[in-house]
Amino acid sequence: MTSEPSGRVDASEYPPAAGPIPFRRMEKNWGVDLSPGLRADLLDFTAWGEILTMYGRTMKVAVALTNSQGQILGKCHNEQPVWKLVRDASPGWAAGCPFCITTGLPCTAVADALQTGVTVMVRDQAGLTHVAVPLSLGEQPLGAIIAGQVFDRYPESLLLRRVAKEFGVSAQRLWDLASRQRPVSQGILQTSGDLLRSLGDAFLRQRYSSILEEQLAETNGRFRLLVEEVRDYALFTMDPTGRVTSWNGGAERMLGYLEAEIVGQNFSCFFSPDDIQNLVPEKQLRKALEAGEAKDEGWRVRENREQFWADVSITALLEHVGPFGGFAIVMQDVTDRKRIAIVLEEARQERTRLQEKFLSHVSHELRTPLTAIYFFVTNVLDGVLGDLTPEQREHLTFALDNVNQLKDMVSDLLDITRVETHKLIVEPRQASPVKLIAEAISTCGTNAATKNISLRFQAAPDLPLVWADPVRVRQILINLIDNGIKFTPESGTLTVACRPFAEDDGFVCLSVSDTGCGISPANREIIFDRLAQIKSGSGASRSGLGLGLFIARELVSGHGGRIWVESQQGHGSTFYFTLPVFSLAKLCSPIFTVPNLEAGSVTLITVDVVPVEGTVHADIALEIRRVLERCIHPGQDVLLPSMSGAEPVQTFFIVACTDPRGFEVIANRIGRELRTFDKDSRLKPVISSTTLLVTPDRSREEQIGEVTAGIERVVQAHPMAKERLQ
Amino acid sequence: MTGKKILIVDDDPHLLLGLTAKLKANGYEVTCATDALSAITVARKEAPDLVILDLGLPAGDGFLVLERMRRLADLVATPVIVLSARDPTDNKKRALDAGAVAFFQKPPDSHEFLSEIRQALGEEMALSSFLKT
Repeated sequence: MTSEPSGRVDASEYPPAAGPIPFRRMEKNWGVDLSPGLRADLLDFTAWGEILTMYGRTMKVAVALTNSQGQILGKCHNEQPVWKLVRDASPGWAAGCPFCITTGLPCTAVADALQTGVTVMVRDQAGLTHVAVPLSLGEQPLGAIIAGQVFDRYPESLLLRRVAKEFGVSAQRLWDLASRQRPVSQGILQTSGDLLRSLGDAFLRQRYSSILEEQLAETNGRFRLLVEEVRDYALFTMDPTGRVTSWNGGAERMLGYLEAEIVGQNFSCFFSPDDIQNLVPEKQLRKALEAGEAKDEGWRVRENREQFWADVSITALLEHVGPFGGFAIVMQDVTDRKRIAIVLEEARQERTRLQEKFLSHVSHELRTPLTAIYFFVTNVLDGVLGDLTPEQREHLTFALDNVNQLKDMVSDLLDITRVETHKLIVEPRQASPVKLIAEAISTCGTNAATKNISLRFQAAPDLPLVWADPVRVRQILINLIDNGIKFTPESGTLTVACRPFAEDDGFVCLSVSDTGCGISPANREIIFDRLAQIKSGSGASRSGLGLGLFIARELVSGHGGRIWVESQQGHGSTFYFTLPVFSLAKLCSPIFTVPNLEAGSVTLITVDVVPVEGTVHADIALEIRRVLERCIHPGQDVLLPSMSGAEPVQTFFIVACTDPRGFEVIANRIGRELRTFDKDSRLKPVISSTTLLVTPDRSREEQIGEVTAGIERVVQAHPMAKERLQ
Repeated sequence: MTGKKILIVDDDPHLLLGLTAKLKANGYEVTCATDALSAITVARKEAPDLVILDLGLPAGDGFLVLERMRRLADLVATPVIVLSARDPTDNKKRALDAGAVAFFQKPPDSHEFLSEIRQALGEEMALSSFLKT
């Protein structure tokens, strides 16, 4: 016998409690933690009270509801007078179990039930039995229902006396209180536990769904209120055909229609007649259907025919949202923003135009006096005015160098305006990087020789052709080489190299290394910026306008490559830039994005340009290219580059197109445009076509391979190509 | 001394002076005009073998001169080299279409310019055929 009071039944002292009653756990796993608010709501006693009271009355038991900490949440039916006694006697009772007449230790029935998920039956020191039924949503314990056995009898008078003594009442009083209770057998209590379990689960679920419904109704109400109150946005919905089905206050204000007027009307009435004619409303709905959402900015029309600039987003509603699906539209009137943007853009264009005009004027005006100086200096150097002393010759040579520098700067000025007006055009074609470097080196040779700098050229073997604008690549190279010469002391070395680019085999990497003073890390960051002129003490007196590397960077990025510098101070610098490798497959790839390639053919339209006399001038060839470019569908048909080897004057052009009926249209258009271009009929163009069959069920790569091989066959068979290849 | 006569049309007196000296030093006879109107008058009077033409001129631009020359029987065959400060991207094709034999942007490379003059006068051909024999 232990004299220690205990909340739990000690088997050796009391009859054994009934074992835990197994029950079926709820299957669903509630992944989200229930918020304290929702927990309190779920166990709201005003909701539970009625059913628990009814249960208690029917079953003749006392019932209580607790939260997961075992705190009693609500009054129970048939409160036992013993509790009142205990409560009155012990102020700390609130935290204790009302069913245990014990002292000190708390009753662990609720905690055990929640932890194990089973119904726990406990008998206290006084022989009172009660069950704790866990309440949980999925894995999350919420609380418990306690159903208590009404007092049967105190088993031992000794215990009765002890309890009475602890609470400070007479044993007789306690007995009187207790004996008024009606006994309930343990078996009944056990059944009661099972019943309570089912009842609790069912009621908890009902409570949960009713809370969700309440919240949903509240949200809906709030949402409706919100939609109607929104003033700055038009919010409305449409059925799948574009007829308005709902309309908020903002829409009324923005578009001018009352809800009663507009519901049932097609939303195309918000568009200008031009847009309606061009099927813009239909196209937007189709886009929204395909992509789920369509965003647009454009002019819309109010009820009073006034135009405004709208930012519109159309969302396709899924079919389960409404009975037929449809669209939700959010529209904002951003006319003010648009007006400001228009004004700013106009101002920017005007500024750029003035700047371009000014720079082009300056460059033009500088060129004429420069030419006069150039002629005078070269005349004197050529001995037109008689023989020169060595010193006179030297000074005049310096003068000529400076004139040439000025000339380059004037050209740079013009390029800068072109960068800013996006007119710095790169016209790529097949080109040999080795040849381009060789040309640049020969141009810069004199310059290097005057400083006794040796210019070296290292080219990796079997370099591929690049897809680049020869004029612009020479410009980049000359710029880098001249820079290198400028910063390399006398008798230094400058190395120009070309090799495949290790990081990406779609590019080759060209580099210019000098043995100059190097560039500090800080300067390496800004060296390609506009007007970045690095102050240096290394005897380089002047480094131009500081535009050279900026222009070089723009030109390289115009080719799709990148430029960077590596340098060790005191040990020279290396400038690298990459150029894309020429790839017929890459050029042809737009053809294969067209869905109707399933027709299984690519048609090559060959345009031979045979001048009446002489050859086609390079500029004319370029113009012809431009004419042809205008005739094809961009992004669908491809105007192939000169296929005749390096980069001589182009005399035949090939267009690859996929539409089996479209190629005649294109061929006719080419004929018409060329006749307009060549009014004097000096070029005599001949247009012919070849059809390449493509195996439809092959992979894209294999199809590209078939087409490129076919193109190469056609090119090889072409008489002009043969002539040129010889 | 080739004795061929070249007409320079340009409104910049210093450029005229410098280019005249250069051409004379290369054996050409030189005559000048400083605007579009006098260009035609001088050309008809002097009957030059070649015209070096600026585009920006007083009293009409160089294109006007080119057009007029193409309509005049005595000047239609005279080769014209355009020497202008203007941007070649816009003006080169237009000049060649209008009948010029070459376009140089100012300042031209001295050697290339003289070589083009010789070619236009048919001298370079003669030289090369002489070298071959």
